[in-house]
Amino acid sequence: MRIVICVKEVLDPDAVNNYAIAGRLEIGDDGMSLTQTAIPRLMNGFDEQALEAALRIKDTGVDCSLTVVSIGEDPSKILKHCAALGADSVVAIKTDAGALDGHGVATLLLAQIEAGGGADLILCGRQASDDDQGVVPALIAERLGMPLVTFARAVEASGSSLKVTRVVPDGDEVVEVVCPAVVTVSNELGEPRYPTAAAKIKARKVKPQVTSPADLGVADGDLAPRIQMIRQFVPTVQGNCEFIDGGSPAEQADKLIARLREESLLS
Amino acid sequence: MSNAIVVCTWGEERGGLPGGAEEVLSLAGSLARSVGSDLVWLTLGAQAAGVAETAGRYGVAALHQIDDAKLADIPADVAVEALAQYCEQQSPRIVLFNQMAATRTIAPRLAARLDSAVVMGVTEVAADGDTFDITASAYGGDTRVVYRVAGAGTPVAAVWATAITAECPEAGASLAVESVAVDLSSVSERVDIVEPAKAEGPKLEDAEIIVSGGRGLGAVENYKLIRDLAEALDGMAGASRPLVDEGWVDSNHQVGLTGKITKPNLYVAVGISGASQHMAGCGAANAIAAINKDSEAAIFQYARFGIVGDALELLPELIRAARS
Ligand SMILES: Cc1cc2nc3c(=O)[nH]c(=O)nc-3n(C[C@H](O)[C@H](O)[C@H](O)COP(=O)(O)OP(=O)(O)OC[C@H]3O[C@@H](n4cnc5c(N)ncnc54)[C@H](O)[C@@H]3O)c2cc1C
Repeated sequence: MRIVICVKEVLDPDAVNNYAIAGRLEIGDDGMSLTQTAIPRLMNGFDEQALEAALRIKDTGVDCSLTVVSIGEDPSKILKHCAALGADSVVAIKTDAGALDGHGVATLLLAQIEAGGGADLILCGRQASDDDQGVVPALIAERLGMPLVTFARAVEASGSSLKVTRVVPDGDEVVEVVCPAVVTVSNELGEPRYPTAAAKIKARKVKPQVTSPADLGVADGDLAPRIQMIRQFVPTVQGNCEFIDGGSPAEQADKLIARLREESLLS
Repeated sequence: MSNAIVVCTWGEERGGLPGGAEEVLSLAGSLARSVGSDLVWLTLGAQAAGVAETAGRYGVAALHQIDDAKLADIPADVAVEALAQYCEQQSPRIVLFNQMAATRTIAPRLAARLDSAVVMGVTEVAADGDTFDITASAYGGDTRVVYRVAGAGTPVAAVWATAITAECPEAGASLAVESVAVDLSSVSERVDIVEPAKAEGPKLEDAEIIVSGGRGLGAVENYKLIRDLAEALDGMAGASRPLVDEGWVDSNHQVGLTGKITKPNLYVAVGISGASQHMAGCGAANAIAAINKDSEAAIFQYARFGIVGDALELLPELIRAARS
């Protein structure tokens, strides 16, 4: 089974949160990019879980190859991490990912998947934690004519079909689908593993296979974005909290419940 | 009716309407007025009881329905095919959805079919001639991004309904439903549901009062206090994501960007810091009451009432006070 995992490098969302909470999240002169250069870049969390899903399939003894693909000027750091975790091959598509929209990203990933001999299962995180868009897996599925299964908490492979437990609004749903298919993974899959020290050292020497849009036969025109960011801003939050202070916890609790009743927020 | 602003919904939730319908209609209605286009409401599958009357109130010019036995439960392959055919026939100016779990599959797949732009998590849409400026949430809500969509084609946008206040207009005559024919004979669903989800009891999305616990509870056994307070207030218990990730509570308790998007009258947040991704699921509450030992916690920026204190000391007292 050929498994391809698509991963994205993002700004650490917790660091972005901390800046936002401190009121120090700022947009640069271009009106678009975050100015905080101290925010680390890391692998999108849901993508780590997508790789974890692939590794769990491998753990069950299924004969499979794991290829990780990422787009960017230099995604080698996260690709080495994937190699240390057990990816059989890692591929970097070198280009300015910021200039692409979801269609452009899908075009490049598709071209790479085809160049690499195809895929029986394409695993992606449910969405990226920077733009929260989550459209790429669906665009890939539709353009390859593959079914899409979203929000997986467990993925089992048996023969040429998959059994996927999905997190849906009513609880968990179990579905079956015949490969090839695209599956997106949600945080409910659980904590991704860490690489062993030995694997990390070995992975340092791994050189990602580097390719480019031109190498993949993708012309600039094919990457023309249908949507373009023209502005980014930080929405304001109007703080207006009435603090219930003073007294013992019992007195504070009585006061809060009384205030909530006064405001008809409780019956 | 070409060049219309089309709102597409399905299903029926509280109030006899599809989820988020009034919010999406509010956004779409003002967009339609600003560009002088017709507002069209398209429903898939069986139509919810309140649709015809609501269409009248929101100034909908035409109420379309695509119904077919295959559309029961809105399987994605069938829905995408139906919508692709609809868009080919009708050439809408833009198609707007309410962002729900199913929309995350259907909206981008439709955009792939139409080879058009797609934006999720939309909070605002402005238009000028052929150009749309679509604002969407990013970083869980820490920022907003304005995307420009230019050129021909039918863009697809999924609206973050809880970020929008419904207009709730009063007058308007009910609209007649026009059935739109599409041919779904050749499409069959490729994803086979072998064990459907069992909806158990009431949903967090419908709750009027929610009490949620976060990492500040410290230990799994303390979550019982959240359940007890929820019960004492006649509400439901929710949680932040770390509690789900730790396995303290089931994932259907998770409130937030990638969990339940709720809109209760009262949201009580206990030991929750107020990260944007959590607020994405409760920021639309009428009022938030927060309990946190850190007076600088972000949650107090969103809260109407706050107590700075230890959750484990306050929860038993709140349960007592609520019961009295
Ligand atoms: C892409 C993405 C999607 C996400 N989706 C979601 C989502 O859907 N839902 C979600 O909730 N999160 C989500 N998150 C995670 C989110 O960013 C936060 O990490 C998470 O919400 C933090 O949970 P918390 O507030 O419980 O924990 P923390 O941030 O650790 O906060 C704990 C709080 O408890 C307080 N505290 C500690 N001890 C006590 C005490 N004894 N008494 C009172 N207060 C105390 C602390 O002061 C602190 O404010 C997502 C993150 C990403 C990147």
